[in-house]
Amino acid sequence: MAAAVTTLWDTNGTAVVKELAAQRRTGGAVLSGVALTLVVVADESRVEEAEEAAAHAAEMHPCRLLVVVRRQLDSPAPRLDAEVTIGGRLGPGEAVVMRMYGRLGLHAESVVLPLLAADAPVVAWWHAPPPERLATDALAVIADRRITDSSMGPDPVAALRTRAADYAPGDTDLAWTRSTPWRAALTSTVDSVAGRRGEAVRLLGGVVEGDPRRASARLLAGWLSARCDCAVDVVDSDRAAGPGGVDTVVLRLDRDEEVRVRADRRAGALITQPHRPDATVALPDRPLGDLLGEELRRLDPDEPYSEALAAATGVTGLAGRPAVREHEWFDPFQREDA
Amino acid sequence: MIRNPLRDPRDRRLPRVPEPCALVVFGITGDLARKKLLPAVYDLANRGLLPTNFALLGFARREWDDAAFAELARDAARKAARTPWREEVWERLAGGVHFVHGSFDDDNAFDALAERLHELEGSSGIGGNAAFYLSIPPGQFPVVLKQMQRTGMADSTPERWRRVVVEKPFGTDLPSSRELNALVDSVFTPEDVFRIDHYLGKETVQNLLALRFANTLFEPVWNGHHVDSVQITMAEDVGIGTRAAFYERTGAARDVLQNHLLQLLALTAMEEPVNFSAEEIRTEKLKVLRAISLPADLSASAVRGQYEQGWLAGQRVPGYRQEEGVAPDSRTETFAAVRFGVETRRWAGVPFYLRAGKRLPRRVTEIALVFERAPHLPFSDTDTEELGNNQLVIRVQPDEGVTLKFGSKVPGSVMEVRDVSMDFLYGEQFTESSPEAYERLLLDVLLGDATLFPRNSEVEASWAVIDPLEAFWAGSTPHPYRAGEWGPRAADEMLAAEGRRWRRP
Repeated sequence: MAAAVTTLWDTNGTAVVKELAAQRRTGGAVLSGVALTLVVVADESRVEEAEEAAAHAAEMHPCRLLVVVRRQLDSPAPRLDAEVTIGGRLGPGEAVVMRMYGRLGLHAESVVLPLLAADAPVVAWWHAPPPERLATDALAVIADRRITDSSMGPDPVAALRTRAADYAPGDTDLAWTRSTPWRAALTSTVDSVAGRRGEAVRLLGGVVEGDPRRASARLLAGWLSARCDCAVDVVDSDRAAGPGGVDTVVLRLDRDEEVRVRADRRAGALITQPHRPDATVALPDRPLGDLLGEELRRLDPDEPYSEALAAATGVTGLAGRPAVREHEWFDPFQREDA
Repeated sequence: MIRNPLRDPRDRRLPRVPEPCALVVFGITGDLARKKLLPAVYDLANRGLLPTNFALLGFARREWDDAAFAELARDAARKAARTPWREEVWERLAGGVHFVHGSFDDDNAFDALAERLHELEGSSGIGGNAAFYLSIPPGQFPVVLKQMQRTGMADSTPERWRRVVVEKPFGTDLPSSRELNALVDSVFTPEDVFRIDHYLGKETVQNLLALRFANTLFEPVWNGHHVDSVQITMAEDVGIGTRAAFYERTGAARDVLQNHLLQLLALTAMEEPVNFSAEEIRTEKLKVLRAISLPADLSASAVRGQYEQGWLAGQRVPGYRQEEGVAPDSRTETFAAVRFGVETRRWAGVPFYLRAGKRLPRRVTEIALVFERAPHLPFSDTDTEELGNNQLVIRVQPDEGVTLKFGSKVPGSVMEVRDVSMDFLYGEQFTESSPEAYERLLLDVLLGDATLFPRNSEVEASWAVIDPLEAFWAGSTPHPYRAGEWGPRAADEMLAAEGRRWRRP
């Protein structure tokens, strides 16, 4: 089907809603079965990257895609430019890219709310530094699931602490998603030890070798400590760690056994375990779209993440927090005005 | 699975990965192995779903070494892989690819295979676990199974599992399937036998269970009070291709009606399983299969056909009797349409119309529930002239999805009601990421999850349904139909006699 694209300059929310409805009428069957609305908050410099990832994820999870770009918050005249596409570069579904200028950026929800797919879950994804307290962004308050990426900022470990302090069930982080292949490789290695022994395995401890300044490495160590009830640290590895910040993971098991998973730098990892020859598994660096796709698979609170985050940051009581946030008004200019 | 502290039932991101194991394929040079199995193995590896220690052993008559076989396997996998090709994934897999050559009656070859498998236990760390895939004609099953028995390859012990995967056809009638089952079960224990019906590996078929048992909307009307009839169609646009020798002996009823269509019927008609386990689902399916009845007068409710020369998709295609390898006076059917009943309280009196055929206008498989007409319409007759029965259609392939057909007012100043359809589409876009049936089924075999595999009692119950049909048809000549038509006229008349008509899928 040919893609339909309409660009609306200096427009308003009502016109965007009308245009989307008009395109739906002419668009045909591609629009059926929307499972969720994905709201992407992106910086102008990262819009293209975010669009590509979102389009990829939309192929796996039919969704309505709303991209919000906030620009020149200090511009005196608020203004909205919008681009409405169906079945084009933004994936198979409906997509609206909105650029908001001036103080409209502080009221993005006024444009987004009427565009949400009816009664479908809302996922918000910040492909930009997220606010310190998510509740100050109204888009976080309407979202059922909130995806941040702690590895984006200059200090990912501080970013993790911020996320832990602000955590509410339904939050998740792409740094956690990046650890999934590692977690899968470790789990299946321990499975294989348990299979060989024919009885349960106990984890006594372990260490993550990599880059302690990386969020994924911290979360992986946090997850291991939470699962085996012992401290697992991240230490500097003897060689530069790969993109996720993890180079090698060593687990100490009962019966004086040890397993080791080490990245082989060829999109795989070498697994060393007792009584078995070394083996390799796939451990690819996944593109952003794949990570996002994994996040959209499940929209319920991710308890293993909250436990890993708690263990990685030392902040407790995450799981018990209320899942709903209340909007907190925050005006970045207020201080200057006063 | 034995307890592992890293496993957490709440952690749904971690994939189910089988224990270290080997996959041994007999008939690795065959079509199925090259087009489906090898690509599925690669796709599983690429998705990180194969265990860390995994070996693939091919067994065939060709005189290849491991390297030559690995090369062939690579080409086959690359050609048909669903996921993007990554050389490093294949290289890793290729390290565990082995080949043993020999014929099935050669004791030495099987001794060599057993020895190779034993070596791999240590060198590849597969821990003795192995699944044997019999991608060979059923005529060769006995000799291969005997060899496996002789060499002790088939024995599961507490330390290791051994499983066997069998492809259809599971026999050609009830006695032969019993014989086959007895043979397989005497070598492997029944729990270790996996019969592949690849239809059950399809997403939509699994979704049928979700649709029925996860929702409240459909179950109240899913019975004879509301359903007028059920139509299950499996249409293929292709002919018999190079399978003449097989097809001549088999025909449409044995080829697809006995397995795919009856399995779809069972999933459509079954009661809610106590839980979503292999055992409970198979129990419910078996109950339905055993409740299937044939009408007393088969001549009015069982039609078979054979395609004649015609035009399909803009091309002239030969008739069945003109296909290479087919007898010029062949009486094998390429189309079968049957009316079954399901003798349960839920379905009493509801006809289940099943049809399957080759060289029909398009490739489509679907299950359609046709609902009763409203007992009273407060509109005038002319208002509802275009209103048909409400329908719920589950499209199994292609364009996987669900369609609901119902009446709606035509916009305008007069009251007119017309059928419209509401579509839920897994969509072309989304099927890309939904795994190939073989991928799913192969993984389930290695995991030991038998939910999607029919049990031998199901196979036998299905043959018990088909055998009377075959007996009735024996000696008769199928109704001819033109290639590119929806089957013979007699099939339409069969429904017309009961005041119904086939849905055009």
